[in-house]
Amino acid sequence: MTHLHLEGLSHVYPGGVRALEGVDLEIHPTERLALVGENGSGKTTLVRHLNGLLRPTSGRVLIDGRDAALLRVAQLSRLIGLAFQNPDHQIFSSTVRREVMFGARNAGLRGGVLEDAVVRSLRLVGLEQVRDDNPYDLGYSRRKLLAIASVLAMDTQVVILDEPTTGQDAPGVAAIERLVGGLSEAGRTVIAVSHDMRFVAETFSRVVVMQAGRIALDGPVETVFAEQSWPALAASRLEPPPAARLGASLGLGSTPTETALLAAIGAGRS
Amino acid sequence: MLVLDTVSYRYAGAAGDAVTKISLDLRDQEVVGLVGANESGKSTVCLVASGLAPRAIGGVLGGRVLIDGADVAGRPIHELVGTVGICFQNPETQLSGVTETVFEEVAFGPANLGIDRDELVRRTGEALETLGIQGLARRDPRRLSGGQMQLVALAGLLALQPRYLVLDEPTAQLDPAGTRLVGEALQALAQRGSAILIAEHKTDLLAGLCGRIAVLQRGELAMLGGAQEVLADDRLEGLGIAAPVQGRLQRRIDALGLAATSIAPEPGR
Amino acid sequence: MNEPGPEGPLEAPRADSPYHRLNPLTKAVSATVTGIAALVLGGVIGPALLTLVAVIIPAAIAGVLRVLVRTTLLLSLPIGISAVLVNVFFFPAGRDVLLRVGPITATGEGLSLALEVLARILAISGAITLFYLTTRPSDFVADLEHRGVSSRLAFVANASAQTVPQMLERAGSIVAAQRARGLDTEGSIVRRLRALPPLVGPVILGTLGEVEERTMALEARGFSRPGRRTLLRIPADSGVQRLTRWLLVGGLSVLAASRILGVPG
Repeated sequence: MTHLHLEGLSHVYPGGVRALEGVDLEIHPTERLALVGENGSGKTTLVRHLNGLLRPTSGRVLIDGRDAALLRVAQLSRLIGLAFQNPDHQIFSSTVRREVMFGARNAGLRGGVLEDAVVRSLRLVGLEQVRDDNPYDLGYSRRKLLAIASVLAMDTQVVILDEPTTGQDAPGVAAIERLVGGLSEAGRTVIAVSHDMRFVAETFSRVVVMQAGRIALDGPVETVFAEQSWPALAASRLEPPPAARLGASLGLGSTPTETALLAAIGAGRS
Repeated sequence: MLVLDTVSYRYAGAAGDAVTKISLDLRDQEVVGLVGANESGKSTVCLVASGLAPRAIGGVLGGRVLIDGADVAGRPIHELVGTVGICFQNPETQLSGVTETVFEEVAFGPANLGIDRDELVRRTGEALETLGIQGLARRDPRRLSGGQMQLVALAGLLALQPRYLVLDEPTAQLDPAGTRLVGEALQALAQRGSAILIAEHKTDLLAGLCGRIAVLQRGELAMLGGAQEVLADDRLEGLGIAAPVQGRLQRRIDALGLAATSIAPEPGR
Repeated sequence: MNEPGPEGPLEAPRADSPYHRLNPLTKAVSATVTGIAALVLGGVIGPALLTLVAVIIPAAIAGVLRVLVRTTLLLSLPIGISAVLVNVFFFPAGRDVLLRVGPITATGEGLSLALEVLARILAISGAITLFYLTTRPSDFVADLEHRGVSSRLAFVANASAQTVPQMLERAGSIVAAQRARGLDTEGSIVRRLRALPPLVGPVILGTLGEVEERTMALEARGFSRPGRRTLLRIPADSGVQRLTRWLLVGGLSVLAASRILGVPG
């Protein structure tokens, strides 16, 4: 159970780009949290602070009350897994299985535990059939699932996915939705950076909207996608998910997910 | 008319065909959507239709690609660029990498054709204007947002004045603002009567754009028909395709026995 | 799309001045002649005067003196410092002892040789920096193409110069991605060596994949068409500049010849 706390986090890149400005954020264990916002709003910069890849210009990152500044990236990587957006920035092994093993081995897993972790994470993303294939024989979307699997195999308490659904088809998105649900049920914290509002609404419980390095909105999916938040979303150049728009146009209140929409329609009828 | 006549294609070094016996035509002033699960052959069809496969990447082509009835086999790619143009999903790899302003970037393609300088300037300006990005002309193309960069790539394509546009998931790597930007530009192009073949996962985008839609499954043509019928077809989900939200929800509502509830298109959103 | 990463000022400021407006070839010739002349001249005063006349004064006219000084120092300091250390402390024939620290002796001869080396390095890197700060690569390429250099060759030269920042960005992202998977890039040499494949692999594999994408995009824009390209603009040239270039090259030849023939300079 890992508790994450950002305190007055600011980050200025060399060259002067102010990517984060005084961000305060608490993330509780087993939470499913989505970070949304247009490109350049600071989402990726924020998550890279959680595992120490970036260090605060000012403010602090606390992990279970301990200042992350005291831990090296290699140590933090055992607590917090981060799957990058572009799988081709990490894949280097000759087989799918070895690629998945890389992170897990770095995390200190050995022997049967290691094997288990590899098999389990390959199954989670649906790549167990191709475990002996060369990663570069797979298409982009499956390479992306592979990159996610390699982070899952590290068995970290916190899993961060940067744009997991980019380039995925409907079954791929569904697989990631199931995976996030499964991780959360297993007691892990899942954080995703995403542009896909439907995916965000269907999969996550809390949404944090970033705008120009600050948090513009933060709350449960039902609140962030409710009609009264739409102007704020629009100011961050975002649109609510389709189900929320349909629900509002039918006067059914906040229905961010398709299930909620159908339930609201059902309730209105009976 | 651009015709794929029982086209099969095998990538260089691959064991099997990536697409098999695809027959598809793109008529003038028509927008045809191409949908299918990942690795079902959408990108391959785009490469074949644009002439890049096999010319630029090798491999083996079966069947024929015809433009106005003439087989294009044997014609070099630089002769085809004024006829068929292709836009890819990653805006960054489409920049020439050697220009410092958007204007120069858009002019890069037609400049390669060696056309007259005044004509080059005119075409470039026209392409920028068509997509409404004259304001970016003096900007550095490498310092734009993803959506803007993709519009620049599209303008670079338009400046070649191809009769047929092939777009391979042009919004896949863009954020919502970028997707909206490119989506609106595509609407405008469709209204101007451009002939477009567009591969895309976002069926909501296709619904408002296409006359016909082709569905691919493991390299074969699984369905081809009017956009409305295809997007309403029950088999889509089984083929790994998410139908447009509106229709899909309406069907689920109907299935719940709530037939009287209609979720008609929201006005003006 | 990537969010803006740690971006530095990758581009030269786009100022305008009479020096900026010189024909790119004139500036290229000036930089080349300055560099070679500094080598040929030797000593400290020659290269220093040359740097003043051919680099510092033009940079001041172009309004890029501050950036120039900063960039030049950044470029030449690593080599410069090592050159100074090696020469000052390890010049074998040195007699004039300045300082003795344990077994190491600094000599006057070593010091003056070090200054000579430093003067050349500064002149050369200053001349190159001035060229880059005042010339748009695409102008230089357009000018070369206009003079008949193959457009493909010009493209390759230009593209390779401009992809360096992108390569650096990609390398940075790869290091970050592997560290996030627990790769330890700090610590012992063995550990660092073991960290190489995960870092080098994606650079090569990723670059190959991207090259294919880029090639297709270029082909689709008619890049492989034989024959001349249309040039959007041709950098202006003038008779005076043409004459200057010939004079510079001529002067350099005379200087080099006089050195080789042993005429005191």
